[in-house]
Amino acid sequence: MNEFHALLKNPKTDKISKDSDSKVIREIAELLKKRSLSPFARSITVRMIDCGSSNDVEIEEGLANSPQVDCERFGVHFTASPRHADVLLVSGPVSVNMKRALEKTYAAMPSPKAVVAAGDGAVSGGLFSKSSAVYKSGRVEEVVPVAIRVPGNPPTPYALVLGILKAGLALSK
Amino acid sequence: MDTKLKKFIEELAKEPVLKKLRVADSKSAVWVQTDPKAIPEACSQCLTRGGVFDSGFAYPYSSSGEWAAAYLFRMPKFGKMLIFWAHSSVFHSISELIPGSVWDERKMLERSGKKFIGLQDQRPILIHPESAKFVKRQKTPKASGYNFAGTGAEGEFQIPVGPVHAGIIEPGHFRFHVIGEKINKLEVRLSYLHKGTEKLAENKEAATLLPLIEQISGDESVSNSVAYAQSIESACGIKVPSRSESLRLILLEMERIYNHLADLGGMSMDIGYYASSSQFLLLREEMMRLNETTFGNRFLRDLVVIGGVSRNIAPEKLGGLKAALAKFSRYLLQVEGLTMTSSTFLDRVFTTGRVFPQTAKELALVGPAARACGISCDIRRHLPYGAYARRQFKEVIASDGDVLARFTVKLGEMKESIRLISSEINEIPSGPVATKTDKALAGIPSGSFGIGVCEAPRGGCTFVVQFGKKGRLARLSIRTASFRNWRAIEKAVKSNIIADFPLINKSFNLSYSGADL
Repeated sequence: MNEFHALLKNPKTDKISKDSDSKVIREIAELLKKRSLSPFARSITVRMIDCGSSNDVEIEEGLANSPQVDCERFGVHFTASPRHADVLLVSGPVSVNMKRALEKTYAAMPSPKAVVAAGDGAVSGGLFSKSSAVYKSGRVEEVVPVAIRVPGNPPTPYALVLGILKAGLALSK
Repeated sequence: MDTKLKKFIEELAKEPVLKKLRVADSKSAVWVQTDPKAIPEACSQCLTRGGVFDSGFAYPYSSSGEWAAAYLFRMPKFGKMLIFWAHSSVFHSISELIPGSVWDERKMLERSGKKFIGLQDQRPILIHPESAKFVKRQKTPKASGYNFAGTGAEGEFQIPVGPVHAGIIEPGHFRFHVIGEKINKLEVRLSYLHKGTEKLAENKEAATLLPLIEQISGDESVSNSVAYAQSIESACGIKVPSRSESLRLILLEMERIYNHLADLGGMSMDIGYYASSSQFLLLREEMMRLNETTFGNRFLRDLVVIGGVSRNIAPEKLGGLKAALAKFSRYLLQVEGLTMTSSTFLDRVFTTGRVFPQTAKELALVGPAARACGISCDIRRHLPYGAYARRQFKEVIASDGDVLARFTVKLGEMKESIRLISSEINEIPSGPVATKTDKALAGIPSGSFGIGVCEAPRGGCTFVVQFGKKGRLARLSIRTASFRNWRAIEKAVKSNIIADFPLINKSFNLSYSGADL
């Protein structure tokens, strides 16, 4: 406990196995087996858009790119343009000032496309659902259709990766 | 009130326009009521006598529709806040005197809907005119656009960037006015993340608000909660046990370390030096995991409560934390060597994005951004609170004001934080970690104010609470470091090329969410 394990061991990347202590990692291991025949098996391109989160979901998305989690080994790649994206990762609650930007970003994506609502705010509006400055209840699904919901305050990097992988599976159906 | 401060205010009252000062003293601040017209003069006198502008806010004063405008100044000499306030139906701007107050005053204007004399920029700041139709329970205001004025130079054209950016970051709009590649002027337009946080706090019980406060800016949960808790504690006269003061210090410094790691990694990444940035990213994720194993939450949430901290941290865990930090600092030295000896890195950061001390003073910058231009502004020293009052530490200051200076300041602060945590763990007092606060909170008279400050990783933040009936909050005013420092980016990018903007932005690494309250 309390050791900087990753600094001493090689490879730095966490092991993904079905015997892991973490439930999320076990689920990822299961899912990786299932998806081998899907067209989005080894390449899911993600565009993220923050519509009102308190930058914690963005930090966890950033850390999904850390050497330990390394989301690119699952084929998950964050892209700069919605035109290149299969999955839109939205954190919320959707503020009134971001509503049009979210609609435009979703419209700019080519089909097939799926939306992942990440974090409690995006899923339910969270603490802000009664605020007058969020759009309706702040839920992402009030603005764009949502395929996968990832609750959490904020969701961990692995939970986000799992959500994106699930969205990839939903796309290939 | 101590005699020096008394003398200071007597001197202030000698000025002809400031004859009718009414002074009230509280634990954390001195309130000075002036004539509404005399506000700018009072602020100017305060500035010449060593005051530093902190923030401005407005609150409803009477049922007849009058509002009060209050301007806060930090007085490092006395370790207290000095607040000038006046109530009227017309406000008088101090923006000519202190250009940094423009955003505060635009917010005051939008909140109160009063007339503001002397404020040049009266564009709405919180709700964008083009989005006003989506706001619940509000009449649609006259929709007018948002005008971005250029400098009028020949050959200048505009580049709009945002609100959706290319990276994994928050939304904000940047309007560049460029000639060729050189940036002539930048205007930042924020509030895309405005969710009415301050408004939501109204009429709520003080103790129930901490989850909301933690959502102000995700990576500054501890700093904002500590500042908020201190504002309530100072208003109610709650004494925090010394063990919880120490635990708060450890949490605050852990937060500083994991935030600065991201900034340093981000700077290396934005110049394309991935060898160093992945090392920083590796350390960052390890630090988040260390947060989780030691304190139970990656973002150190649910720990700070009014009257102390919510749970005790076992001595073994604190010992483990100390050992891990020792290991961490050895590794950090290697990564520092990897970065600071690279000509690739130094070439890009040296003299890039300079903020000059004069600009920093005008905009009343706080935190590492100000310290990188040689200005001492550490709240931990200027208005000592909690365990910092009994700790010695170095304020890391650089002089150049460029990206490299901000890099070295943040690196230095991180080392100082590690030292602070280790010595605090060595001498941590035993005892309870929280006091009972129910009685103090229920008995607070309506209309009383509390002020709380804290040095967050991005700089000092200030919380002002006003109590209403039955111990509920009537109003909460928040001024975060991000809100104060955003305008520094507008100045820092001037005459730089547009490709260096991401690097300059990252060197400040301000929170968008924290500014859009």
